[in-house]
Amino acid sequence: MTTGTAQQVLRLGRHAFIPDRRLVMGIVNRTPDSFYDRGATWDTGAAMARVHAVVAEGADILDIGGVAAAPGTPVDVAEEIRRSVPFVAAVRAAYPDLVISVDTWRHEVGREACRAGADLLNDTWGGQDQRLAEVAAEFGAGLICAHAGDQAPRTRPFRVAYDDVMADVLDRTLAQAARATAAGVEPDRILIDPAHDFGKNTWQSLEVTRRLGEMVATGWPVLVSLSNKDFIGETLNAPPDRRLTGTLATTAICAWLGARVFRVHQVRETREVLAMVSAIQGEQPPARTVRGLA
Amino acid sequence: MITSAALCPWPPLLVRELTGADPVLPELRAACAEAVTTLLRDDPEVVAVVGPGTATVSWPGDGRLNIAAFGAGTTAARTAERPVLPPAPRTAERPGLPPAPGIGAYLLDQAGYHGERLIWSVSADEPVAGCRKLGAELAGGSTRTALLTIGDGSARRGPRAPGHFDERAGAFDAEVERALRASDLTTLLDLDPALARELMATGRPAWQVLAGALEGMAGLAVEVQYAGDPFGVAYLVATLRPSIFRGSATRE
Repeated sequence: MTTGTAQQVLRLGRHAFIPDRRLVMGIVNRTPDSFYDRGATWDTGAAMARVHAVVAEGADILDIGGVAAAPGTPVDVAEEIRRSVPFVAAVRAAYPDLVISVDTWRHEVGREACRAGADLLNDTWGGQDQRLAEVAAEFGAGLICAHAGDQAPRTRPFRVAYDDVMADVLDRTLAQAARATAAGVEPDRILIDPAHDFGKNTWQSLEVTRRLGEMVATGWPVLVSLSNKDFIGETLNAPPDRRLTGTLATTAICAWLGARVFRVHQVRETREVLAMVSAIQGEQPPARTVRGLA
Repeated sequence: MITSAALCPWPPLLVRELTGADPVLPELRAACAEAVTTLLRDDPEVVAVVGPGTATVSWPGDGRLNIAAFGAGTTAARTAERPVLPPAPRTAERPGLPPAPGIGAYLLDQAGYHGERLIWSVSADEPVAGCRKLGAELAGGSTRTALLTIGDGSARRGPRAPGHFDERAGAFDAEVERALRASDLTTLLDLDPALARELMATGRPAWQVLAGALEGMAGLAVEVQYAGDPFGVAYLVATLRPSIFRGSATRE
């Protein structure tokens, strides 16, 4: 869509993904209190069952998180490690080739996760801990550079205002990507993420969606995390369990504008939307075409 | 001299264009409109707007709220050919204000006030003495000044609140409301800046400016137009009118 720097191959774990390949990242929460699943995978057995399910549905990446984004009971480093790291090791043992991402802002957690086999660190809170990039570099892992404005981890946006929200998203994510590169993270393992809802009201999340092409034009691969979020809920006046349609519509728009990775709860539905977008853009053929052709 | 004073909160949702198809809190908008109308009833020569900001400084009197910073203005601009939203007021030609005093300016616009304005932001770190002094300065002299103070109580009043839940928030806000209803300026001046900051109660500095401006005035008539926390932030809308001016109001 937008002219700019061309997208390059994205390397995650042992894989190299060409720009036309859209990737689905399945969310697996190791929390008792995340907003959408409300602790459904707090139990280790349930979490592993979810891993099997999302892999079967076509997830390319798993994103394992040990701390809910919303304010709540404090989770310290030791507890976060306890929640997520042994599980990373278990998933790695079960799926040697699967790309494993860990959602954390803390370098201590990132280090233990990489030791246990994580390939990617998802820094959703936007560079709160600069040493996270050093850990990614040390282990040859990837890094997601997200935009959370000035917000501290686990806080909600409070009247946050921007002269130009996309300019701020670009300033901060590109600065983080540059710092990560300087710290030694391989550039083809770095992604940028506007982080919908983080440090943004609904208008601002809608605007970054509308203007996502400006992020794609930087040449960095763009990840979007839209799944069932509040900006969709507020737009449609829908509670969390009725946001799938809005999530998929937003997914289609972001895919059309060039996003490459989609962090989601519903893997199968997302795959279908991405397949439609890829077919419309002419990047992938339809599954089976006989209509008018027989 | 102060002719009258009003308190209003500054949630951006007071701007109708920012809430989408749903008006969200029309009763709060109406309460603020009523308070500002009351504030203007005594024909002030100037309205002083005081709200929290990052520094204690004055701003251009023709400054306006930058609605686009919250999103709707840009949406309206982008969809100008086929607008799906009511267009935001065009304010680009006027200097932008910080959000809190900006909401004060916006409320004056909504009330149709075209007179002179003094606009101040007060730092969240401004000590009590500084707030009190600014209030006394605004009240000094013979200019008939109406004072519009902008601020909220705690934003930590429940699990869905912007700042989540703090068990001290309820007592803090209740004390502010009680003091206001009793025109107990001493209590307002005793509010602890550190506690207010922890509770995300943005109104503290402006309320202490208000107390400084009204000190020494006997017989304040207080009306509370709104007190509530529908989204976990304490909103308080009120007017205070020195009794010396109540006669002129009664004649209207």
